[in-house]
Amino acid sequence: MKFAVRLGILGIVFVAMFSVVGLRLWFVQVAEGPAIAQATEEQTWIQKTTYAPRGDIYDRNGVLLVTSRMVPAVVIDRTFVQPEEREELIKRLSALLAIDAEELDAVYEKEGINARFQVAIVSNELAYRLNEQLDVLPGVEIARVPERVYLSGPTLAHVIGHLGLPDEADVEENPDIDLNLRIGRLGVESAYDQFLQGTSGILEYRVRRGEIIDQKPPLAPLPGNSLELTIDLELQQLVELALEEGIALSNAVKDADHLAGEDVFGVTEKAAAVVLDAKTFEILALASVPDFDPQLFVAGIHVDTYADLNEREALFNRAIGGRYPPASTFKAITYTVIEEENLPFPDRDDVDVSDRLVNCDGKFILPELADGSQQVKRDWYDGITSFGWLDIHDALRNSCNKFFWAAGLGTYLAWDRTPRETVIQDWAGDLGYGSATGIDLEGEIDGTIPSRAEFERRAEIQRENPDAGLLHPSRLEDDGAIWQGGDLMDFAIGQGAFEATPLQVAVSYAVLANGGRVMEPRVVSRVIDSSGNTVQEISSPHVRTVPITSTTRESLLADLGRVVSSGTARAAFKDFGDGLDQIGGKTGTAEISANKDSHAWFVGVAPLNSPQYIVVVLVEEGGSGGRIAAPVARHILQYLMGNVPTPIEAGEKTD
Amino acid sequence: MTVLTRIREVAVIRRDNKFDRILFATMLALSGFGLLMIYSATRDSGTFSMERQMIFVSAGLIIYLVVSNIDYREYQGIIPMISVVTLLLLLAVFVFDSVNNVSRWIPLGTFNLQPAEFAKVVVIVVLASHLAPSSRDEIGPRTISWQKVLQAVGIVAIPAALVYMQPDLGTTLVFGFILFSMLFVSGATWRQLVSLLAALVLGVAAVLRLGLLSEYQFDRLRVLFNSSIDPQGIGYQLRQSRNAIGSGQLFGKGLFREGTLTDFNYVPEQENDFIFTAVGEQLGLIGGLLVLAAFAVIVWRLLVISANSRDRFGALIAAGTAAMVMFHVFVNIGMTIGIMPVTGLPLPFLSQGGSFYMSMALALGIANSVWLMKTPVPGENQLM
Repeated sequence: MKFAVRLGILGIVFVAMFSVVGLRLWFVQVAEGPAIAQATEEQTWIQKTTYAPRGDIYDRNGVLLVTSRMVPAVVIDRTFVQPEEREELIKRLSALLAIDAEELDAVYEKEGINARFQVAIVSNELAYRLNEQLDVLPGVEIARVPERVYLSGPTLAHVIGHLGLPDEADVEENPDIDLNLRIGRLGVESAYDQFLQGTSGILEYRVRRGEIIDQKPPLAPLPGNSLELTIDLELQQLVELALEEGIALSNAVKDADHLAGEDVFGVTEKAAAVVLDAKTFEILALASVPDFDPQLFVAGIHVDTYADLNEREALFNRAIGGRYPPASTFKAITYTVIEEENLPFPDRDDVDVSDRLVNCDGKFILPELADGSQQVKRDWYDGITSFGWLDIHDALRNSCNKFFWAAGLGTYLAWDRTPRETVIQDWAGDLGYGSATGIDLEGEIDGTIPSRAEFERRAEIQRENPDAGLLHPSRLEDDGAIWQGGDLMDFAIGQGAFEATPLQVAVSYAVLANGGRVMEPRVVSRVIDSSGNTVQEISSPHVRTVPITSTTRESLLADLGRVVSSGTARAAFKDFGDGLDQIGGKTGTAEISANKDSHAWFVGVAPLNSPQYIVVVLVEEGGSGGRIAAPVARHILQYLMGNVPTPIEAGEKTD
Repeated sequence: MTVLTRIREVAVIRRDNKFDRILFATMLALSGFGLLMIYSATRDSGTFSMERQMIFVSAGLIIYLVVSNIDYREYQGIIPMISVVTLLLLLAVFVFDSVNNVSRWIPLGTFNLQPAEFAKVVVIVVLASHLAPSSRDEIGPRTISWQKVLQAVGIVAIPAALVYMQPDLGTTLVFGFILFSMLFVSGATWRQLVSLLAALVLGVAAVLRLGLLSEYQFDRLRVLFNSSIDPQGIGYQLRQSRNAIGSGQLFGKGLFREGTLTDFNYVPEQENDFIFTAVGEQLGLIGGLLVLAAFAVIVWRLLVISANSRDRFGALIAAGTAAMVMFHVFVNIGMTIGIMPVTGLPLPFLSQGGSFYMSMALALGIANSVWLMKTPVPGENQLM
């Protein structure tokens, strides 16, 4: 090849290179040009968000619980910081705010070009001093930003909830979410977030070399709406204090028992309580111990503090999320089923089928098994006393297990594998067990009603995975039975695999007391705007009506009254004062394992002539219901009924 | 012999030859336009940047005129000297404090010398001398030996390695492009070129494998293929640049228009490597194509000079210079419109920068000298 030819080829290559650039230029400027031009026109406008103050939260009497106040905050707008000023700015701010320079620089870097972000909330004094130095702090402004204030501290924490920054799950749900916007977590802060949130404002301007050259009229943030709760703050405070005292009482009793040589297991530290209006299904008080201070989350919670809260399960709302066997409190439901469905009683020496009496002597000998062995169930008063022959009324008053066991066994023997075999379970389900009540709080669980179907479902899982530990392995053997008569007997006294929340117990009693109306409980009654006008009324939706005859209802209420006047809660209520005849209740002592103390339950109903208040108290591993939970509930009921609450002292050790 | 007497003698020799006026006029036009665009890109901080560039342009033009009047064949005698000086200067940058871990400059008071820019011109001259046949007026054989090829690679490899260590990937690539172009025109076979290319690809693969490519260089390559990797960094720069140019559309938004992305300083380094962004946004496709056309004229003239050279040495110098200009234009403009990675190569005559402008003027001056000397003048050999 001649030199000139080679030069020519090089020339052709060069022409090709020019053509590529030229064509690409044509593509970018002509083909894509108009679209790019439009996008960049918008891009020269910088948008900044100003956050709206969240709405307030009031109790049912208008007492302010949570509010937002405007506080001075140091805000950096990177639009106004020239790159060469960055280092100096970080150094100065770090010294003024006592924030580590590297940490500050990392935040600055993370927020990105043109970001406007809050560095710290500062005191008024510091804000004043910073204001004087703004000339040497480019891009820094002292803005007034909303800060959440929880006026009631840890009181009502689980109902109110707290704030937090959006996490990965939130981003997945809403990819456009503002990552700097604090959103509600738990409680009504979360459940009513869309009302409380308000609408962020927008500042829009064009900036050239750190100076605003053009500005659109700012869109001011719209404050969020406020909530009025159904909660009565004064009652709530009393309930929380009563729970703390109940826990202290439980520990004192345990100490005494221990000295007396009785078996005592752990320290009591957890409890829950619900006060529900049986007519409206408004929650008047809802407490869970241990609790937390929502204020901790406002400025961003320290990792160690958060770890500590988690370790103590302080964020857990056990009133709606805890799983507890309802124990003898469930006898009121079995009582109702016996009356309404005429449950069959078994023909045995210690049962009088025609008069429906059971010999409450402390021991229940189960029918002989195939191998000739016989199991004996011991009642709670075995070795202490014997009640003799009791009818349904005295059986409830004295919480006689034998009576309800007999009903369970009779039902099993007569109706097992017939359409009526789940009659007790069906009633429990209708009264609210086994499914979430629908309260306007997150974290509520369904709980479990044990039944043949449920046990077979568990057996299925356990066959696939023998380590599941859902059922005793012997039930899965060839000659074993997955669902047994003893299971229905346990269920009839609220034990066994039965799991319920304190709220479900409250709801079931409310339905029994109000004649069968099932509604969804509510903690919020109204959403109101900043001028106090109602935006939305929140009422409890009516779910269903359970047919309960008034005879049964009145009989049950009378017998619940006898529980506190002369039954298992007698000692706890002896100092109740006037109007004890209007109080009903039921004790419960949930046995959970051989090496743990029992959960102490009490459910109170008042006034009996027209039930309004349902009070549920649960002291986790607190001991006897009559001894520990009943005095706490009595204290609360005294307050509700207008008596002066007397000190919480140990009641009688009963079921 | 002093330079002045030499110039006078050359003037006598080329009595009948004229300056390449088209080349000179195009270069002048681009330089003037460059000053305008630098002013446009930096005017909110005054005329300082433009004034500074004016000084470099003036210096560059003087260099151009002086070098035009030096017989390029003189350089063949001082190849070892200019090679050693250039290598020493390339080594010297490592003596001075690095800026952001980059050692590229030799501070000379108010001016920072970038030896790498001048090294490109030196490499062209040294390569041309190496590849040209020894006897003066012979056009030479049509092929070159493997030995010559490998020696040429060696000549380029040493400065390329030093520049790469600064680190300056862009200039290293310029060396590569010059080498290939000059080997090709001087008669390398396809087999030689393909083998060389294969060796280069293997070398690059090894560099990537061993992690010799610094992280930021690697990022710049990756971002070209996926600009969402770092929306705030290099990708941001590329996207802003493409947006600015795209929004200029056919006729541009108008010179010095307010409210453009360039005006808002949205495109980083818009007076240096991204000067073409200002052209594209303010003057549109028309302005951009005119600039491209101007460069095409320069490259065309350089190829014409090469074809008309009286000897192979001059022909290779002009071809190498054409390759250098071409590569800068292609990579720089390609970068602003998103078809080339960000390698830090400036745009000849337009981008702000002293060393770069003066080295370009130097290269074109030498090429002009080739043009002036193209016709042997009777009796000139007596003067030599």
